[in-house]
Amino acid sequence: MTSLRAFTCDDLFRFNNINLDPLTETYGIPFYLQYLAHWPEYFIVAEAPGGELMGYIMGKAEGSVAREEWHGHVTALSVAPEFRRLGLAAKLMELLEEISEKKGGFFVDLFVRVSNQVAVNMYKQLGYSVYRTVLEYYSASNGEPDEDAYDMRKALSRDMEKKSIIPLPHPVRPEDIE
Amino acid sequence: MAARGHVQDPNDRRLRPIYDYLDNGNNKMAIQQADKLLKKHKDLHCAKVLKAIGLQRTGKQDEAYALAQEVAALEPTDDNSLQALTILYREMHRPELVTKLYEAAVKKVPNSEEYHSHLFMAYARVGEYKKMQQAGMALYKIVPKNPYYFWSVMSLIMQSISAQDENLSKTMFLPLAERMVEKMVKEDKIEAEAEVELYYMILERLEKYQEALDVVRGKLGEKLTSELQSRENKCMAMYKKLCRWPECNALSRRLLLKNSDDWQFYITYFDSVFQLIDESWAPPLEEEQSLEGEVHYSIEQAVKFIEERITEESKSARPLRGPYLAKLELIRRLRCRGCNDEYKLGDPEELMFQYFKKFGDKPCCFTDLKVFVDLLPSSQYTKFISQLLEVIPLSATAESEVALPADIKALQQHLCVVQLTRLLGIYHAMDKKEKLTAVRELMLRYRHGLEFGEETAVWQCLTFLEEGLSHSPSNAQFKLLLIRIYCRLGAFEPVAELYSSLDAKHIQHDTIGYLLTRYAESLGHYAAASQSCNFALRFFHSNQKDTSEYIIQAYKYGAFEKIPEFIAFRNRLNSSLHFAQVRTERMLLDLLLEANISTSLEESIKSMSLSPEEDDIPWKDLRDNRDLTVLFNWDPKDRDISEEHRKLSLEEETMWLRIRSLTLRLVSGLPTLSHTIQPKNSEETAENGVSSKIDTIRSLLQQLEAAVDSGKKFLEQKIQYPVLGPPPTRMAGFFSNGSCQCQTSLFYLVSDIYELDTNGLEDSAEIQERIGNSFKSLIERLTDLFNKCKGDLIEVRDGTLKTQPNLLENLVFFVETISITLWVSSYCDSVLRPFKSNLQKKKKKKKESSVAMPPVFTHFLDYVTELQTLTSNVIDHIKGLEIILTALKLEELSLKDTLLLQEEKKFTKTVQGKVQSSYHHSVQEIGELLKKRLDTIKKLKI
Repeated sequence: MTSLRAFTCDDLFRFNNINLDPLTETYGIPFYLQYLAHWPEYFIVAEAPGGELMGYIMGKAEGSVAREEWHGHVTALSVAPEFRRLGLAAKLMELLEEISEKKGGFFVDLFVRVSNQVAVNMYKQLGYSVYRTVLEYYSASNGEPDEDAYDMRKALSRDMEKKSIIPLPHPVRPEDIE
Repeated sequence: MAARGHVQDPNDRRLRPIYDYLDNGNNKMAIQQADKLLKKHKDLHCAKVLKAIGLQRTGKQDEAYALAQEVAALEPTDDNSLQALTILYREMHRPELVTKLYEAAVKKVPNSEEYHSHLFMAYARVGEYKKMQQAGMALYKIVPKNPYYFWSVMSLIMQSISAQDENLSKTMFLPLAERMVEKMVKEDKIEAEAEVELYYMILERLEKYQEALDVVRGKLGEKLTSELQSRENKCMAMYKKLCRWPECNALSRRLLLKNSDDWQFYITYFDSVFQLIDESWAPPLEEEQSLEGEVHYSIEQAVKFIEERITEESKSARPLRGPYLAKLELIRRLRCRGCNDEYKLGDPEELMFQYFKKFGDKPCCFTDLKVFVDLLPSSQYTKFISQLLEVIPLSATAESEVALPADIKALQQHLCVVQLTRLLGIYHAMDKKEKLTAVRELMLRYRHGLEFGEETAVWQCLTFLEEGLSHSPSNAQFKLLLIRIYCRLGAFEPVAELYSSLDAKHIQHDTIGYLLTRYAESLGHYAAASQSCNFALRFFHSNQKDTSEYIIQAYKYGAFEKIPEFIAFRNRLNSSLHFAQVRTERMLLDLLLEANISTSLEESIKSMSLSPEEDDIPWKDLRDNRDLTVLFNWDPKDRDISEEHRKLSLEEETMWLRIRSLTLRLVSGLPTLSHTIQPKNSEETAENGVSSKIDTIRSLLQQLEAAVDSGKKFLEQKIQYPVLGPPPTRMAGFFSNGSCQCQTSLFYLVSDIYELDTNGLEDSAEIQERIGNSFKSLIERLTDLFNKCKGDLIEVRDGTLKTQPNLLENLVFFVETISITLWVSSYCDSVLRPFKSNLQKKKKKKKESSVAMPPVFTHFLDYVTELQTLTSNVIDHIKGLEIILTALKLEELSLKDTLLLQEEKKFTKTVQGKVQSSYHHSVQEIGELLKKRLDTIKKLKI
């Protein structure tokens, strides 16, 4: 029982119950506007019948087609605490994959903190696997060490041989990724 | 810095070091390097611009501007200069100058696609829609690319949106846009999805819904692929507009067959079924039932359809809530139409019970059922709740007096029942003892029920919440509740820490910033208040520049529908109530902390570019962007935050803002009256200068009186917001403690003193008398205000802790009022001083001792002395408060609170310690500021 629709600027005024979660980043306005201007179809919000925002996914399409790197990317995915355990994140991921399929992407990828086991397991259940580790991708502000990220991928139907998800043998630095 | 043309160009090589210095933030070196280069190559204009950028970034705006204009006057056409100037103008917040720059450039190089496109974007940045339309067409003529053509079309739509005259927009701009697109359609030149979207947008705005529908369903509609279900959603919107209920119904039915969990389609499905029934619609005999296939037009069909969805659901891998809730929704709608249970959908109580059994362990079960509790008869509430409780596996343990849930699932279910109990008003119907038992019980279950009223309960709430937070350190709801309750207790110190741990930023400054700004200053935490205003202002100020950038991006990517959305968003932020509030309060606070202490009032006002005539608050369009539901609420409807509460709160906030803004403008008018600024050497200057200033002040004073009146009327309604609803403003305190009277009478005094100033000392006995009386009554009023500050902030009475946070608020108002008093007094001083020195000169000349001192001098001297005494007394009182707060040993206090366990008492101590320390902090900051104010009184002895 969820209404799925395009995320709009006005939702920024109402997404506190989602964004006050400690693992969800609230970005500056330009960041959201950039996504809304460039990839509006990739920014979807779920709304409950009472009008509360339940969660949202924000993503984009990027990469070179010639090098078979054209893909969908999940930038943010978050569900408010009271709407968890309903499979909403899975539904939103499904939508993003569907859009990426339509756009002819080779795969979908995302970054996740290596410590966020709950998320890593969820993505694994949804068919994602670790493609590579990105060292010190998440910078910490309070003097703690920076945290590594997993770059997780799932091949789409265009990548018939699933070449895009063959894991890299060595971790990479953030500056080496595109 | 932006990309730089060709590497071969020797100028590029010469300029590179300057770019590098600027990129690395080494502005001084950039300026030096530019100077060096300019000595050798006088005509290297770009070096000048880069130098100007360096100057701008080192705070030399005027020099930077002059230099930039020198280059701009030459109408440069080289990429380097143009790009550098664009960057500079953007940093100067002068985007309109960029348009001039490129207007000149395209005149000189009329066939440059690049410059024309820069010109278009420059217009877009400042919202010159008509010129955008022309620039778009000019571009299309040079290079016939579709996007350029459609930029021009979009600019027409923007003209229609921004046109004041709706008629003009519907008869001119939109039809013109429509024709432009039609031309492309006829010539078969439509290429991109964005172009179809734009066509749809135009037709929708023209209310040509049938035509819009035809486009979406036709060949062009095939391009609509990016967004999921884009065509279906657009068709649905048009069917609704056209009241094509058969199509609405058939389409929603089809979409529900695909996804039986999408709530919006159930709503359309039901809406359309009942519409069709009311219209006694019958399917046509020959053709298809509708464009979208099979139609349901009877209750029987709807019932069957929903039952089928439930059967289907039982086969799905993941339980779906939609079908079950749809059934409840159908019952609700049938009941509204007077049907009872003719359709055998079942008893709502039983269905809700079944729903709970299926989904009770999901946190959203509560909000789901909340929508349907009205289906239950109130006589059944208690029975319903016990029915739910029976199915939760709770087991009594040896250590605990109540049965506890066995696992997380049971805990969730129990939580849901507790929330429903509260929603149904069962807790509210309890007496105090029962409530406390209930709270006790919830506590043992590690659930924090909140029942306000007595202060002991407040301390308990804080205890429970602090304990909760120690176990769940990132629970935002605990933090938000703690923030609200600490503020009620007048303790801001812990609030600042809690708020910063929420890591609220950017847009959240607008939506939940009120939690901080409402209390920081009013509780005497001036430094924190300054800081929180600054954060908010930084956010609001960057908005203008940021959004413009993305409006341009939206043109580039053809996200046309986002353009009006972004503009509306920018406007919503610019007209934010909170923005206007922090802007006003920030300036008042700066004056309070600095004016006539570290800098003169006049300089402070000048540095803020304040002027009494100017009002920059969009009163009619103020938008309340506060998120008032950021705190969860499980209360029954009549205790929840209603639309009415929101409306009233906005009204109250606006009134208070009006009072504050008028106060600020009145204060900013004070220096304009003084001779030091406007020497009164001729009649004319008095006519056009000062005399009009006093008129402004008098008119503002009238407005202030009117604002105060409507504020008082508003408060007569005695509105009680829900405990966790919008916090009330400071207005009630401002009226009841007498600050309001003091402040208005001060501005009347200003008017009298001005009169004395223009009339001179002779023949002004009456005015002098009036001023003397004003001084006296002012001292009385200030003394009354001080009396309202007396008392203990915190004390132990009958074994419980009592606080009087309103004393803090009153003290803060006292300090503010005394500051305004002193600014007015120093105006008074500036008027009297020249009079006195003139008299003394006369005295010397005549060598007489009998030149009589006019009474106003004595009045003023007496008044200043009394002011000084009063202020010293208040400072002594504050010192007393400090001593008490330091001496108070709360840890030795054993509160007679039998309800708390030993372990919980630990948290009670923490809470009490935090409140005590916060009071101490408040009293210190207030005391220090008042001491600085006392020092300024000494300068007033004429």
